[in-house]
Amino acid sequence: MIYSSLLFIYVFFPLSLLVYYVIPKKHRNVSLLILSMIFCGMFGIGFLFFMTTYTFLNYTACRIIGKYIKNKSISRSVFLFALIFDILVIFIFRSEIFRGFKELISIPESFFPVGISFFTLSAAGILADVYCGRTEAESNIVSFGLYIMFFPRILMGPLMRYSSFQKMLRCRHDDLSGIGTGFAVFAKGFAKKVIAADTLYVLYNASVSVDVDKMAALTAWLGIISYFLCLYFTLSGVSDMGIGIGYCFGFRLPQSFNYPVFSSNIRYFTARWHMQAAHWFRRYITRPLSALSSSRIYKRIVFIAVWGLFGFWYTFNLNGAVWGMIWGTAITAETRFSRGKLLPVTGILYTFVIALAGSVFMAGDSLSYSLKYLFAMIGGNRIMADSLSLYLIKSYILILLISMYSATNLFRNLMMRSGRRRVQSIVTALSPAIVLSVFILCTVLISYRGSSDMILLRL
Amino acid sequence: MKNRVSKITAVIMLVYLSVVMLCIFFRKGVSDPVNSSCKESDHISVSAIMNGSFVQYLAKCTADRFPARSRMIAADSMLRASANESIVNGVFVDRKMLLDAEISERGSVKENVRIINEFCTGYKGAVCFAAIPTSSGVYDSYLPEYMRKKPESIQISSLYSQLEGNIREIDAYNILKMLNENYIYYRTDTKWTSYGAYCVYRTVIQKLGFSPTAYDKYTINHVADNFRGNLYARTFYSQVKPDIIDIYTYPEGERIVGFTGYDNDMKSFSGELYDKSYLDSRNMYDMYLGEKRPFVKIKTSVNNERKILVIKDSFADCFIPFLTQHYSEIDVASPEYMDGAITDFTDPDDYEQILFLFGIDSMDDENLFDVLAVPPEERTAK
Repeated sequence: MIYSSLLFIYVFFPLSLLVYYVIPKKHRNVSLLILSMIFCGMFGIGFLFFMTTYTFLNYTACRIIGKYIKNKSISRSVFLFALIFDILVIFIFRSEIFRGFKELISIPESFFPVGISFFTLSAAGILADVYCGRTEAESNIVSFGLYIMFFPRILMGPLMRYSSFQKMLRCRHDDLSGIGTGFAVFAKGFAKKVIAADTLYVLYNASVSVDVDKMAALTAWLGIISYFLCLYFTLSGVSDMGIGIGYCFGFRLPQSFNYPVFSSNIRYFTARWHMQAAHWFRRYITRPLSALSSSRIYKRIVFIAVWGLFGFWYTFNLNGAVWGMIWGTAITAETRFSRGKLLPVTGILYTFVIALAGSVFMAGDSLSYSLKYLFAMIGGNRIMADSLSLYLIKSYILILLISMYSATNLFRNLMMRSGRRRVQSIVTALSPAIVLSVFILCTVLISYRGSSDMILLRL
Repeated sequence: MKNRVSKITAVIMLVYLSVVMLCIFFRKGVSDPVNSSCKESDHISVSAIMNGSFVQYLAKCTADRFPARSRMIAADSMLRASANESIVNGVFVDRKMLLDAEISERGSVKENVRIINEFCTGYKGAVCFAAIPTSSGVYDSYLPEYMRKKPESIQISSLYSQLEGNIREIDAYNILKMLNENYIYYRTDTKWTSYGAYCVYRTVIQKLGFSPTAYDKYTINHVADNFRGNLYARTFYSQVKPDIIDIYTYPEGERIVGFTGYDNDMKSFSGELYDKSYLDSRNMYDMYLGEKRPFVKIKTSVNNERKILVIKDSFADCFIPFLTQHYSEIDVASPEYMDGAITDFTDPDDYEQILFLFGIDSMDDENLFDVLAVPPEERTAK
């Protein structure tokens, strides 16, 4: 059961709000944990069992590390053991290498721990924090369980430090206006997922239905633009929905995306793309590794390699790693060579082109396919446009333009920064009606299937 | 002001969600527009809860009971058809007709063909195989080019090339393609009309050694002009005209003297070739042959003692009436609804002819032909 399904929005979500606000304040954490466990159980009891065991093992490891923090040999071995366990878990479920092993311990093919890419990183993060003494080991298993299993976070993060999560647990803003904001944020994510991402996905599939050797350049561009936007809208849509739900329970979860698509340079893009996840990689991998040597070249290599790892985390294949390394290299090159001020348009253009080139790798199954695709994009197949590309442009131009506009921060700026008070107050006054209409519209769009599944990536 | 607006949003949304939720809880699953039923109790079991299929069932119930669902699906179609490419829930929406947009996404027929080949090896009589294209196969020029990557003509010829032995293949595709100016397919369904079935019947019956009944001998009754088929149920797109259902009768011809359906426990039920009570339901097409049964025996007044076994899917429902002029007994097996093996119902060696008649869209269904998968030795032993 994912957020963008009728069952979640119209049954589970209202019921859980009811349960949460009816129960007295001091028991609310427990009720949230139970709700999260029910949410996990909805994916199958196997998943619930997996999650509870996983949480309990990590909790125990944290406690042991915390207790023997002075005795380095014990704490180190427990830390390494738990860390390897976490890494192994994510590898077993996400990469194909362990297919044989999965069959050996008879894990059914269909079993996939939803959100595994996020909760394993969360768990690894808290282990590292406790081991380094940056935070104390949590003794309350309810809080720890919530950190791993909290259902607004489980599908798509945001990844956050345990200490920040703890702060949120302690001072919550669970009031009516929080719920209102939550619904507004949820509606935003719902629309991103159902209106933009799902339609763009159809366009992407239509574009890549031709052989890559015969693809017209225009089709290739359309395909990759739709893929890139679809990826953005899927990831940010689902995480917005999660954040919205979090708000309804008084958790002000941090944003993951801050309008990265049309950034005016590469650094801005990377600083706004999946911020919490990127931050995790920086904090737990880049920084400790960079600290090992003061050589500049070494630091750059580490920087690019960790970006590669970040990309690998998305897809668990070489193509993802190439995506990451393209970004890593681009940031390094930009920091090194960009002098003086560029026109914003130039910056937006080259950032967008690099983002598309990266997406070609993220989208492809193999390096050779992605290279052929790039070749098709530069017109290597000697076909600039064909009937398919014109047909697709004609059919999808409207949704492409709308989604491109909503990927920019123009509307946000209009609301927050410009001096147009009247526009702002009209939009604010209308917002309850807008939120309601978005809910109804998106419900209409998923009414036949009953849900809008996560596509492109299984994170 | 912002704070106040947030509060108003919260109140409006909470009221909206609770109203919808209560509707879902207290509404009986009557609307039920997509051929789904919410009553099966076998979804509520320990194993269903364990593997999560219980929740899928809940999700389905939620969707079925959602207030004004059919109107929502209709709105969905209108929106999509006007905003971008006209594909709604896998259906290509055209003003003239609805077409299945997913014809190129069918799986392999290899395993099913293997079972059929095996089934036919030990069989002495004549076997005919008719793979019928769906409406999107015959009218694929309406579809955007990229959806025609694997056209049905190729799917059918590849299926035929895998058939072994003396199986006679019926080239239904080219017959229907040639006649595509006529009303041979429903506008709102993937299946053919009675007229489409008649055109293919002429060829099939010749291959089976009879001469076909001439078209002008039939009296044709339009029994319904408001049929909306399976593609309509996925889109609720009402811009396409509803379809006409015809009954072909041959007043001077042979009559039906017995129509017995069997369920999986071999309990027998009498029925009719045309069960007109279905004309008042949503599944009007089920009028042909009536309630879906795994096995049906049709006896006619034909006096030639010839028997045919038809192994089929729903495409054959409007086809079988044409056979009644030629055989004294027509036995109809529907693997979709059959548990166990076909040999539990009848012995295939009792028939001098077997006709396979399937829509090409169901040929990739997994386990569809498992009922035929009985080794020939075992069959002869029987």
